Amino acid sequence: MWTIVMLTMQEAMRRRAFLGTLIILAALYGLTFLPKAFQQALGGSPKSFELGVNLMILFGVDIIKFFSSVLAILLCAGAITSEIERGYLAAILPRPLHRFEIFLGKWLGVMLFCVANALVWTTLLWVSVALQTKPRAEMWHALPYVLLYPMMYGTVALALSSFSSAPIASMFTVAAGAFAYFADHFLRPIAAFFDVKLLQQLVSLSEWVVPMAVLKRLVQARVDTLVPPGMNDAPPVGSEVVLHFLNPPVHLLDLVYVGAYLLFWLLVGLFIFQRRDVQ
Amino acid sequence: MWAIETRGLRKVFRPLMGGNPVVAVDHLDLQVPVGTVFGFLGPNGAGKTTTIQMLIGNVYPTAGKAWVLGYPAGSIQAKKRLGFLPEKFQFHDFLTAEELLRLHGRLARMEPATLNRRIDEVLELVGLMERRKSKIREFSKGMQQRIGLAQAILHDPELVILDEPTSALDPLGRRRVREVIQYLKQRGKTVFLNSHLLSEVERSCDYVAILNKGRIVKQGTLDELLVNRSVVTIELSQVTPTIREALGRIAQKVQPIDERRIVVEVEQERQVPELARAVILAGGELISFQAQRESLEDLFIQTIEGESK
Ligand SMILES: Nc1ncnc2c1ncn2[C@@H]1O[C@H](COP(=O)(O)OP(=O)(O)OP(=O)(O)O)[C@@H](O)[C@H]1O
Ligand SMILES: [Mg+2]
Repeated sequence: MWTIVMLTMQEAMRRRAFLGTLIILAALYGLTFLPKAFQQALGGSPKSFELGVNLMILFGVDIIKFFSSVLAILLCAGAITSEIERGYLAAILPRPLHRFEIFLGKWLGVMLFCVANALVWTTLLWVSVALQTKPRAEMWHALPYVLLYPMMYGTVALALSSFSSAPIASMFTVAAGAFAYFADHFLRPIAAFFDVKLLQQLVSLSEWVVPMAVLKRLVQARVDTLVPPGMNDAPPVGSEVVLHFLNPPVHLLDLVYVGAYLLFWLLVGLFIFQRRDVQ
Repeated sequence: MWAIETRGLRKVFRPLMGGNPVVAVDHLDLQVPVGTVFGFLGPNGAGKTTTIQMLIGNVYPTAGKAWVLGYPAGSIQAKKRLGFLPEKFQFHDFLTAEELLRLHGRLARMEPATLNRRIDEVLELVGLMERRKSKIREFSKGMQQRIGLAQAILHDPELVILDEPTSALDPLGRRRVREVIQYLKQRGKTVFLNSHLLSEVERSCDYVAILNKGRIVKQGTLDELLVNRSVVTIELSQVTPTIREALGRIAQKVQPIDERRIVVEVEQERQVPELARAVILAGGELISFQAQRESLEDLFIQTIEGESK
């Protein structure tokens, strides 16, 4: 199975995945101007500089979340059906391997590749913060939870790729992400403020279907101290219930659910790949 | 024990979006003896590749069963003992020839020392020794087919399954494949191959099976199938009805081509001289007389055309 893991990573390298790395490098580099810009805009106090650094870390973590997910989707979406169509798997499968070894090998290969990338990016973020002010550790605390993003989207994309071609698998995965984002950022406030029960149920349901909001809260719990006052404060109106709905607390069980969610999609993909013809 | 055995093997492809189901392989009973070179023939779309994919375990049968060297087709035990060259081969082309073989050796769980030795051996066998450091991407189609053959025999499997091993090869390459097949046969291996180049098959196979529309229509050793049926092309200054009649009394089939040439088929080789005598006795002026054993190609075409009638 390790041979498959290595092969997958080699393929990932070759697919110019590092081009994406360059893009994110540029984005992170752009961020390094943020603290200075903030300081100038807000009258030059050290406090505003600190605020800028905090925002830089927050945005940096967001960027890492986003790009590592994109990377995982790109690599996983073409992992099975596209490889079958291109004829790669027909030559690998006659080897004495179980199909699940190939599937898990691919999964692990992509995940390790994404972890390696996220590590590099986080190090960059850390260095560029450390160069401007004293070293900060929040991005490292957030990293394990940030990694859940590529894991979740990669696993979903891989499961879809077991029966659909790369464009379709990535399209559906991105659509799932967009749906979760929409539910969390637009439906949730509307449901809270106007207290529409049906909408609230819909938002909760969406969290079960694509637990991106859960991941968001898990990450946020690690970088909470950075959020500037007033940015994430509870709204001035609304009952206890509504506030709770807007900002649910983080539970350990959330993590368990995310684990079960990953396992579910892995099993779905495995099951389909196990049964399908490879031609 | 058979190298390959199938019982009632059947595969139906059902299109997802409506359309008619395709019966690619239908009730296939096949027995391939160990240590033989077996030619699996049939027209395009007969179901050869589908059968092979089922033997490998890439495609699941709709019904029936298959065994490879006594193990269920597709099982790890079976896969350990076979080597396979796919029809539409596509290897990871960013690897070099050597790296590709190393990858396949690892997947086949070979010992590193054995692997290094075998990589040299098989590269030599398929004639790619000088290109071992070249990327597969830079290979021509025929060179890719050679590296495909190399990976199929790398781990010294007991059974080698080749789906059209010579489709992209030049005459020298084809001869090399014949040599590789002989080399495998001498070492007691079984070779199961599928090819449209019937003269190649005729030269290297002991057994053949002809498949048409998913069913076996003829099966046996080459010697059994091509029994002494001889075809003679006779050229005369003029083919007269008397000559045709005289030939007709001996021959199984008489087919004039034009007023000078006539093709005659006899049941047995020993009847060939009788034909010459008959021509002379009927007053014919013999210009040329060419006897040939019926070729596999004739048998193939007759069999398939006979089927479609
Ligand atoms: N994935 C598939 N879906 C639907 N039909 C298929 C599929 N694969 C093969 N077939 C059909 O099954 C039949 C047998 O195909 P197969 O590839 O086994 O033929 P073959 O004997 O190898 O032919 P060739 O000599 O052209 O390689 C054909 O009619 C083909 O159209
Ligand atoms: Mg074929």
